[in-house]
Amino acid sequence: MGKTVLDLKNFNVTYLNKHQRVHAVKNASFKINKGDSLGLVGESGSGKSTLAMALLRLLPLKTTEISGAANFIGKDLVKLSEKELRKIRWKELSAVFQKSMNSFSPVHKIGTQVEDIYRVHEPGAKKKEIFEKFSYLLELVKLSDRVYSSYPHELSGGMLQRVSIAVSLINDPELLVMDEATTALDVVTQGEILDEVVKMEKELDMTRIMITHDMSVVATSCNKVAVIYAGELMEVGLVKDVLKNPLHPYTKGLLNSFPSLKGKNKELQGISGFLPDLSKKYAGCIFSSRCEHVMDICKKQKPKQVEEEGRLLNCHLYGGGN
Amino acid sequence: MKRYIGKRVLTGIITILIVFSINFVIINIAPGDPVKTLMGQETDDPELRAALEEKYGLDEPLPVQYLTYLKNALKGDLGISIIYNRPVIKMITEKLSATILLVLTSAILSLLIGTIMGIIAARKEDSIIDLIFSGFSYILNSVPSFWLGLLFIILFSTVLKILPTYGMTNVRTSYTGLAYVWDVIKHMVLPVSTLVLIQIPLYFRIAKSSVLQVINEDFILTLRATGMREKKIFNKYVFKNAILPTVTTFGISLAYLITGVVLIEIVFAWPGTGRLVLTAINQRDYPTLMGIYLIMSVSIAVMMMIIDILYAMLDPRIRY
Repeated sequence: MGKTVLDLKNFNVTYLNKHQRVHAVKNASFKINKGDSLGLVGESGSGKSTLAMALLRLLPLKTTEISGAANFIGKDLVKLSEKELRKIRWKELSAVFQKSMNSFSPVHKIGTQVEDIYRVHEPGAKKKEIFEKFSYLLELVKLSDRVYSSYPHELSGGMLQRVSIAVSLINDPELLVMDEATTALDVVTQGEILDEVVKMEKELDMTRIMITHDMSVVATSCNKVAVIYAGELMEVGLVKDVLKNPLHPYTKGLLNSFPSLKGKNKELQGISGFLPDLSKKYAGCIFSSRCEHVMDICKKQKPKQVEEEGRLLNCHLYGGGN
Repeated sequence: MKRYIGKRVLTGIITILIVFSINFVIINIAPGDPVKTLMGQETDDPELRAALEEKYGLDEPLPVQYLTYLKNALKGDLGISIIYNRPVIKMITEKLSATILLVLTSAILSLLIGTIMGIIAARKEDSIIDLIFSGFSYILNSVPSFWLGLLFIILFSTVLKILPTYGMTNVRTSYTGLAYVWDVIKHMVLPVSTLVLIQIPLYFRIAKSSVLQVINEDFILTLRATGMREKKIFNKYVFKNAILPTVTTFGISLAYLITGVVLIEIVFAWPGTGRLVLTAINQRDYPTLMGIYLIMSVSIAVMMMIIDILYAMLDPRIRY
């Protein structure tokens, strides 16, 4: 186990508007160590992207409120000033976003944009130096360096995705956040890119948070998984434990709703009901209204996070006491 | 790029030729007879008619007239006005410079003012400045140009007596040098302000909406995540993407403006092509009319060519 890269404690994100407060992420706590790759999974609207955007501090200040602590290699991301933040942006903490097709300016060459991004932290860098560095990264994502002098519209979606990944690695970041980075691609391209990401990770020794709603992405490219539901973490653990033997009723339900390639064909099961209204406060467990194993206490009291079988769980079924 | 410019110039020339031909045909099949106008309503002497037709080349068949006109036009000779008996090219150039002065000044001013207002409003969306600018633009957008012109005349000339109401120069004096320039500027203030105010909403709306749109693009989010300064993001990435619709609009509106300032020219008695067009139409002055239309279509074609080439330079996605 390497040193801790990100340590999240009681991390909250609340969206504000005139009439209500929407609690998009509540009391999230987990740790990521150097070399880890954490898959953050959950259904649409569960707060995955909100968590990522809040960590990157890219949410509009006026309409969001972030509290708790997010210790990122000795600095608290929640409290950093905009100026301090600018120093670590991309250099320590970089990201690949959804819809990479649009993540480059259509009227500037890829090379120009790469140069500008690199010079944010290395103002004096020479063109040749940047080109050499980026060519190496392009090679990692299996692209020719012709891309450097291309415009975004001259590349395919899969190529742009690879370029985005290469750009995110240009400053050797400590932590890379991939927010649904492969969702828009076809399965074959997605598989190829994921393989490359895993290989690159070993070569560059980086740490990654992978946000997705696709369990297979987590299974093939991550070693840890965090399951999030309605803004609250349900279960956090190693992929090999959680996917084989889920403990939390929500994780079980989520896994049952994905088909398996191996083994017998069994009927897929959804979880009945839908996400609760996050602008309201709930006394009990947020999942209790949809849970099959719901008990009296679930409706009255929030479960505490407990550690069991090497993972963190938020459920009254575990922790012995109840 | 060179290939593109070459192609664009070629299509521009073809466009002008087609417009030239259509003009010739339409004017000749339109009802009315210049010879009749020349002779006067009462007389109908066949000998006089034949003499006049011969003088202006109207006795030739249309295709021959067309070829002669085309040949002469290429040499810069647009014929002689039937009514004023002067070379058309001379009459037009005298008036055209006044119109171009009016059009270009107001187009550039409204482009600058409208776009800057739009950018400011977009960067401070929902602020009090945005509210004021948007309201201002909304009101101006619903004001008819001639009415605004008349209001200006009443306010600045009749009531305040600080600006001249009509013409381009003071006809009672003959200024030279700097004094002349100052005189023209004073005469320009009212018509130009009217045109500028009328056009501001167009540029304001386009600039504001396209800046807002670009600011919300994914690549801006990526650039923010890299820690790039907002100023640099705006000046280099937002601006270049957001200015594209403005360039297109400028080109189109400039072309319309060249032909469309007639009303303002009449309100302020500006000695431009506007009045010339009106009299030429009323008196069936074919050579003058065709000359004006030709010059207008050439200027529109050239303007569009410049805008297209400029656009191709700004946006790499444009290549034919």
